[in-house]
Amino acid sequence: MKRFLILAPALALIAGMAAAGQYPARQIAITVPAAPGGASDMTTRIFTSQMEKILNVPFLVANRPGASCSIGMEYVKNRAPDGYNLCYIPVESVMIRSLGITDISSNDFAFFGRAMTIPAALTVRKEAPWNTFDEFVAHAKANPRAIRVGNSGTGSIWHIAAAAIETATGVSLTHVPFEGGAPAVAALMGANIDAVTVSPSEVQAGVDSGEFKVLAILGEKRSGVVPEVKTAAELGYDNIKVLGWGAFAAPRNTPPEIIAVLEKAAAQAINSDEVKKFFKERGFDHSYLDAAGMTAFAKEQLAFYDEMIPKLGIAQK
Amino acid sequence: MADWLNGVWNVLDPGVFLFLTLGVVGGGVIGALPGLTATMGIAILTPVTFWFEPTKGFAMLIGLWNSAIFAGGITAILINTPGTPASIASTFDGYPLYKQGKGGLALGINVIYSAFGGIFGTLVLMFFSFPLARFTIGFGATEYFALALFGLTMMAAVSTGSILKGLISGFTGILLSTVGIDPMLAMKRFTLGSVYLIDGVLFLPVMIGMFGLGEVLNQIFEHRPSVEAEERSQRRVNLSLGRVIPNWGEIRSSLKLTVICAAIGTVVGAIPAAGGDIASIISWGQSRKWSKHPEEYGKGSLEGLAVSTVSNNSVLGGALTTMLTLGIPGDAATAVLIGSLMMYGMQPGPKMFTEFRPFVINIILLMLLANLLFLVIGLVTAKASAKVLAVNQRTVWVSVCVLCVVGSFALNNSYFDVLLMFAAGLIGFLFRRCGYAPGPFILGLLLGGMLEANLRRALVISQGDYAIFVQRPVSCVLLIVTVLTLAWPLIKGRLFPAGGK
Repeated sequence: MKRFLILAPALALIAGMAAAGQYPARQIAITVPAAPGGASDMTTRIFTSQMEKILNVPFLVANRPGASCSIGMEYVKNRAPDGYNLCYIPVESVMIRSLGITDISSNDFAFFGRAMTIPAALTVRKEAPWNTFDEFVAHAKANPRAIRVGNSGTGSIWHIAAAAIETATGVSLTHVPFEGGAPAVAALMGANIDAVTVSPSEVQAGVDSGEFKVLAILGEKRSGVVPEVKTAAELGYDNIKVLGWGAFAAPRNTPPEIIAVLEKAAAQAINSDEVKKFFKERGFDHSYLDAAGMTAFAKEQLAFYDEMIPKLGIAQK
Repeated sequence: MADWLNGVWNVLDPGVFLFLTLGVVGGGVIGALPGLTATMGIAILTPVTFWFEPTKGFAMLIGLWNSAIFAGGITAILINTPGTPASIASTFDGYPLYKQGKGGLALGINVIYSAFGGIFGTLVLMFFSFPLARFTIGFGATEYFALALFGLTMMAAVSTGSILKGLISGFTGILLSTVGIDPMLAMKRFTLGSVYLIDGVLFLPVMIGMFGLGEVLNQIFEHRPSVEAEERSQRRVNLSLGRVIPNWGEIRSSLKLTVICAAIGTVVGAIPAAGGDIASIISWGQSRKWSKHPEEYGKGSLEGLAVSTVSNNSVLGGALTTMLTLGIPGDAATAVLIGSLMMYGMQPGPKMFTEFRPFVINIILLMLLANLLFLVIGLVTAKASAKVLAVNQRTVWVSVCVLCVVGSFALNNSYFDVLLMFAAGLIGFLFRRCGYAPGPFILGLLLGGMLEANLRRALVISQGDYAIFVQRPVSCVLLIVTVLTLAWPLIKGRLFPAGGK
């Protein structure tokens, strides 16, 4: 038995190498660790429709939502690393370990490309007394915990976005968690809270109708949805950089030849006009990164959240 | 007016009509299968419709949505398992009706009142969309808390037999709803170290197990071949004699309540975070209070079935109102529909009505047409579907078990959900054996989370001040109604002593 255990990875590797010659030879399964209909699901479905054309094999998309995406990611992590089990990896992959939900992290996967990013947008109602990010910060400084900021759930990426404002500027806000971004936006529109830090596309309807104003984009670049709004970095806050992202990966020990095939196909798929058009319509930012770039990005993100999350005084147990 | 004529022309296009029909038929299947929800159907079809012309794509999604909510009632009536959560309340009276051999009539009521509710909601969308959306957007954590509390007062109403046992069952459900990550601090509670319990005890597998498998186990336990043969022959006679369409007297006697419940459904639908499940539960419980024959509720009341089916379909028009006018989803299904509109390059919100007015008109007309279409299909097939289950009892049991397993797995592609469904089935069986009604348990599990999260959210918003619950008018009114509902038997006793009618 013991010998078999030692042999098994070697055999798998050989099998993998043999298979790489004609990879992909059959249908590829890809897991979306989130429910149908959301950003992760839609991105994966549009991505696989292109991948099918490029690699000439069918892609089978399965949704395995739950526990901040950890159920789906754990499922893929435990599959054979043969290139026939892929996964959509969201930003949660670098957060769930610090949140104490699971032991797995982005380190358990071999990335072959990043597709898009979604920055947080600090949004307030039009009648709010603040017209700039600085005015918002000044008010928050003078009135600790008075500004109520809605997010999509405690420990969610949009909660971290508001917390990043606190850490960077030394203010203190009241965080109001909701079950997802949409209810938070509804609460802002209904004047039950004072601000939200969610994705630009979630507040777009209110911005278009003049009911909301976006004070700052908290991502690495400006958002295509509200291109005139400056990023926090442009406003002088370099360390406020919180963004959702979506990448694609295989289990960690997938042979590099297979990753190379997937990387090449993914580059073509993600940079296709169809995918770009889809991202633009849905308000996501097309932000392609290759395998190496994405791996480095995930490392940097994991380190950031490992440091950030324990300071929030939540979860941990 | 010319816009509307143009819209009629658009939706009667053979291609559009074909896609609408496909959606209605597909929705009927998805809705009738427990575990496959309308939201899931729309989410899975959305990427497919991306390649169609917007009107055709939307015709399919709207057809599916409307018909799935109606079809959820079919399984609720025939096998006591709601096809979608919106049909929970339809099991209360629908299944007893079927057992009495009035399955055809129950299915007829389900389809007629679903269509009535759907059309009512759509008319509200047509004429009052902006004022309604403006009213419901103000709903905050306090109002949701009050709504959940109000919904929970229905626990007593859905207890068959002992009220005390009903309450025990209901509070067990509430207790179970506390499992999982807590909504404010993200601390794990009672997760037993399992990643599968992080999101709590999932509602849908429990619902499927409790109502579906639990009922089957109970029937097997109580099964006596001689009784079955008698029942079946009786049911067969009833079915062949039974009518599908309710008579005028039945419609007239419940007319007022069904219209009120259609209105309740539309308003609840327009509230951003409340959907068909709570709408139909509130409607059912409320009309039981107002009805001339409350004693029939839960034992096969035609009126009880009518009000629950009318309100879950009127939710759709209300949900669409909030989505189209404010760009905020009125429920889970409209959240997916927003994504689909955005894929077509349309941003829902106030501008939708000016910039894409013809398309809004198309959506409204498609809603009306979808309701008419499933009305026709539903009525034509009602008698046949009622007879489907007139086969050998064993065949029914096996099929229900298969449906329960497939349904609970299909939800999240998770074996854990299947195990959870089996566990819930066993508990449902034990509940029935010991005289505890499963209805209150399901209600507690469904509303417990909403109650807790919104209570705590309201207190975060008010910085810990409880006065917020009575300072806000809507929440104050809802809380007063809740207290009156609970105290009504006492008040009634004082006002009309000696139990006189």
